[in-house]
Amino acid sequence: MMGRGALTAWLRRLGGLVLIAALIATLRSVGLLDPERLVRGVRNLGIFARGLFPPDPSTLPTLGGAMLETIQIAFAGTAIGFVLALPLALLACPVLFGPPVTASVKLVLALVRTVPALFWAIVFVVAVGLGPAAGTLAVALYSLGYLGKLLYETFDGVDPEVVEAVRSVGCSRAQLARYAILPETANGILALLLFMFEYNVRASSIMGFVGAGGIGFYLLGYIQLLRYDLLLSGLLLTLAVVILIDWLSGLVRRMFLIPVTPAAPAE
Amino acid sequence: MTADRRPALEASDLWFSYSARRPVLRGVSLTAAAGEITIVLGVSGSGKTTLLKLCKGLLGPQRGAVRVLGEPVVAGRRRRLDPGVAYIPQHLGLVRNSGVLDNVLTGALGRVAELPSLLRRLPEDELRRAQALLERLGIGGKAAEKVYALSGGERQRVAIARALMQRPRLLLADEFVSQLDVLTSRDILTIVRGIAAEGVAVVVTTHEMELADRYADTVIVLRDGEKVLDRRAQAETITDIALALRG
Ligand SMILES: Nc1ncnc2c1ncn2[C@@H]1O[C@H](COP(=O)(O)OP(=O)(O)OP(=O)(O)O)[C@@H](O)[C@H]1O
Ligand SMILES: [Mg+2]
Repeated sequence: MMGRGALTAWLRRLGGLVLIAALIATLRSVGLLDPERLVRGVRNLGIFARGLFPPDPSTLPTLGGAMLETIQIAFAGTAIGFVLALPLALLACPVLFGPPVTASVKLVLALVRTVPALFWAIVFVVAVGLGPAAGTLAVALYSLGYLGKLLYETFDGVDPEVVEAVRSVGCSRAQLARYAILPETANGILALLLFMFEYNVRASSIMGFVGAGGIGFYLLGYIQLLRYDLLLSGLLLTLAVVILIDWLSGLVRRMFLIPVTPAAPAE
Repeated sequence: MTADRRPALEASDLWFSYSARRPVLRGVSLTAAAGEITIVLGVSGSGKTTLLKLCKGLLGPQRGAVRVLGEPVVAGRRRRLDPGVAYIPQHLGLVRNSGVLDNVLTGALGRVAELPSLLRRLPEDELRRAQALLERLGIGGKAAEKVYALSGGERQRVAIARALMQRPRLLLADEFVSQLDVLTSRDILTIVRGIAAEGVAVVVTTHEMELADRYADTVIVLRDGEKVLDRRAQAETITDIALALRG
């Protein structure tokens, strides 16, 4: 007879083998176990890498303008998305609304999130034409889906005692949101907004791939023209802007976010 | 003292369980009179918090009923509750990111016009009243501070001010002074006594027998969800209380 411990160890080993076999089969079916292809891939990467250097700064003025547009898309998109997400997230809050409302709102937000940002961009290019307006709407919708979810999860995290205490004064549900839920989560909301903006600057830089404005249009063009040296300038510019925005949002965090200590009386 | 002859709080035969398992409260009845302090004693887990939430209408009993000044208390997850009953939860439930004055002002939300209040426009006299309450409780200078920057005793006073802002006829306070040092808790209980003297019915839960001995007009002991003692406080009952607590 095998002991219980030995059996589980054996099962665990079997599970590991199955997992490795599945991985190998997958790599094969996606074509990554073809040696000829891998060798070709490495050679092409080498050509690509050599083509990147030295970066060619000649188009930086154009790229700068496009980068500014990218930031504008991210900024306006995040703002519009937030303004729409906030009321929806409150509608998804179980202390304010019953299951029929909260479940419907969560479903709508999940549907919005199912569609990738780039696909929304294509939809809006069709709807409002080429340019940053389409990109902004795409970023807004996409932010709505994510901010909506992140916000209602933040609201769910409010200390139930605070909700009970403020409900107890005999206030309405709107007043409960205004005087308990929103102030309690103000820090979290600001952190989410900064996170979403940072993320959207990256997301907006590929909106141009489908003609929805911003620096992506040029990046894609340089790839198609095999001008990897110009591409590198564009990527370095994007990197610089992303670092700058990370630094700025760090600054905002330190200015506004306050330490939260438990409301329990001090010991 | 008020002319009202009905007890401020009348809870009769309350049964409550959070899940299908053993009930947390089993047939607890209690009355609290205006102008008096009723202390509910019980060890941890005996059901004190649950009892107060039932009295406030934050939870609804599976059996039994609660009346405040003769009116039935109807519980509901999202319904408006009675501003006449103030409830101070175990950890106070203050809004940490808001200022002290704002926290106190929330006590007036049950009676002010709703739309202006959502834009943070509250009547001048409510502002004056909130400030006056803070002065009376000795923290007038802290009105502009954020709650997270206060000491435990100061937070306690903010919670009391918010409760008084409701102009309550009944004040329910959970584990009110357990986390404070002896001197501060004595100050706070003196304040509570003053509130009762103005005609408010006060119900305080605690696990400290000494408090019951010193401050209670009526003592109730809960053990394991059942009321095992209910009497007017007298000097010699402290041993009875000790016996009742442990069983
Ligand atoms: N939300 C809840 N869900 C399930 N069980 C709960 C819940 N709240 C309390 N209980 C259970 O109900 C019982 C009574 O809890 P209650 O909080 O009323 O006791 P208490 O006397 O206030 O205790 P303490 O002195 O520790 O605050 C405990 O056994 C507890 O585990
Ligand atoms: Mg408790």
